[in-house]
Amino acid sequence: MATTSLLPKSISPFLSNPASIPPTHFTNVSFLNNPSDQSSYTTKPSTTRPNAKKNPWLDPFDYGDDPEMEYGSFYSEGKQDEDPRPPDNPDSPYGFLKFPMGYSVEVASLGLKIRGDVRRCCCVISGGVYENLLYFPVIQLIKDRYPGVQVDVIASARGKQTYELNKNVRWADAYDPDEDFPEPADYTDMIGIIKGRYYDMILSTKLAGLGHAAFLFMSTARDRVSYIYPNVNAAGAGLLLSETFTPDSMNLSDGGYHMYHQMIDWLGRPGRNVPRQAVPPLKVSISRKLKEFVMAKYKNAGAEKGKYIVIHGIQSDSKASMQSRGDTDSLLPINLWAEITKAIRGVRPVFVIPHEKERENVEDVVGEDASIVFISTPGQLAALINDSIGVIATNTAAIQLAHAREKPSVALFCSEEKGKLFVPNAEEKRCIVLSSKTGKLIDIDIEAVKNVVPVFELPLALV
Amino acid sequence: MAEAVMSFTVIKPKIHCSCIQTAKVELNPAPNSLRQCSTSGFSKGWHQMEGSCRRKRGSLSKVKAFPDLTLMAVLVEHIEGQRDLITHKSVWHLNDETIKNDPYYDSEQYRKDGGDGTGHWVYEKQEDIEESARAELWREELIEEIEQKVGGLRELEEAGKREEELVK
Repeated sequence: MATTSLLPKSISPFLSNPASIPPTHFTNVSFLNNPSDQSSYTTKPSTTRPNAKKNPWLDPFDYGDDPEMEYGSFYSEGKQDEDPRPPDNPDSPYGFLKFPMGYSVEVASLGLKIRGDVRRCCCVISGGVYENLLYFPVIQLIKDRYPGVQVDVIASARGKQTYELNKNVRWADAYDPDEDFPEPADYTDMIGIIKGRYYDMILSTKLAGLGHAAFLFMSTARDRVSYIYPNVNAAGAGLLLSETFTPDSMNLSDGGYHMYHQMIDWLGRPGRNVPRQAVPPLKVSISRKLKEFVMAKYKNAGAEKGKYIVIHGIQSDSKASMQSRGDTDSLLPINLWAEITKAIRGVRPVFVIPHEKERENVEDVVGEDASIVFISTPGQLAALINDSIGVIATNTAAIQLAHAREKPSVALFCSEEKGKLFVPNAEEKRCIVLSSKTGKLIDIDIEAVKNVVPVFELPLALV
Repeated sequence: MAEAVMSFTVIKPKIHCSCIQTAKVELNPAPNSLRQCSTSGFSKGWHQMEGSCRRKRGSLSKVKAFPDLTLMAVLVEHIEGQRDLITHKSVWHLNDETIKNDPYYDSEQYRKDGGDGTGHWVYEKQEDIEESARAELWREELIEEIEQKVGGLRELEEAGKREEELVK
């Protein structure tokens, strides 16, 4: 039995239908069965999965799950252990056998095969700061679902900066998955890196065609999970991937805050004796060093802790404006911002500029004594927001960061639909969503914004 | 770098002096042939010096196979209508011990990102720093959480004590 349990592994990633066999490479493990646990057999999660892959081309002899297969609880139920290796036994007389009695190395990795444990996970994330920020709940979900997992990230150079705010990530590598023609040296180097790290699971949010699927395939991870193109460009990608998600449109970011909902559905799927994993809210953590650095920055600009409002979303052609790809019309020219900030009393508006060249424009329009802070990284922006009393921003990462740090915010959107997509349950998040009636952000009703802005003065008045 | 040279000259003042003298002796006959000095003249100087050392073997207590000599060439450039341009050139060697104890080789200037001074090019320095920063962040958060929990427990305990006192 033990020999047959190892046999399918060598074949299954290529030929078998992943809908029926992975994510938990089911093998008959009756030799491990505990008779008392026979009753705890639960239905297979794969049959209930909504978008499971079913491709008869992959395995014509796949007739689905074996109904006579029996599972015990050992290595097949519940979540994985946080640390699979027990503490060393220094009193062992055998030296090399330092693990305690009863722990057999031979079957220790069975969890990886039967239960589908994930010890090392890699996330390839397409997009910029905004997309990476919205991926944080997914990483937290992976951490919760697979205790003890090490999560690494591959993202574009700008997107990688976001992981300054994430405590759950181990390595973050800069490699732009969106680049269609990467340098051959970079490409092969990155394949070497991810192959050498022996991932159990590799997740990708780039829409995969055959090329990207091949990239993921070469990582030799057990589970290669990716979004695929919703059109003919996906041809061939499914052969190299073990799980695929078809997004609703060509642009994943159109989904707003819940842009990764299909991946979250799949990651949090219930398993044997594991309930569905709830999606955690977006949270960011800011290091002390970063806080101190940013404090020096805004003090230099003439603002005081807890007595300023962050203004983010000034029109600029800078790459650091932290917009979402799903909402390109999300920046306001500085003269409109100047009008809005005139309505602010009692607190100081701090203008965040994404590039030094904007400083002159802001000074021209707002005045020489305006507080201007040059920030191009999400880490610094988060630290700035953390010390503020609130945020007024268009649809940029600043809005999501304000929610993550539980600061009140006013969000300006180009349309109501976008507002609902990017800020669901706005009241819970203490966010006031204002949207333009015409569908263009520049036509937004400034008077309405001015009426809302005094919200921030209340806490000061109470103090 | 400058420190290294300085320390060296302090350590071996005797040999240093002799070297300058020999170099001068060597170079003085042909001061105009500058390019020769910098190339072929150099090796000549080396031989000359070795010779001088050999002659002094009786007086010097210890001579190494490759002594830590400072080779010095004085290059004099003649330019019409101007003062002579005099350049002192030196080749110096440090032994392993000096290198190991030299603060320069432990400094950021020498061991910054990219090279670790061993000749093995080290990649992922930046990634390492970021990784450790994130690990630190994780620890900070954990400590905060624990503190909050402990604080909550303390409040509960205090509340319990107060209740007990009230009951008494």
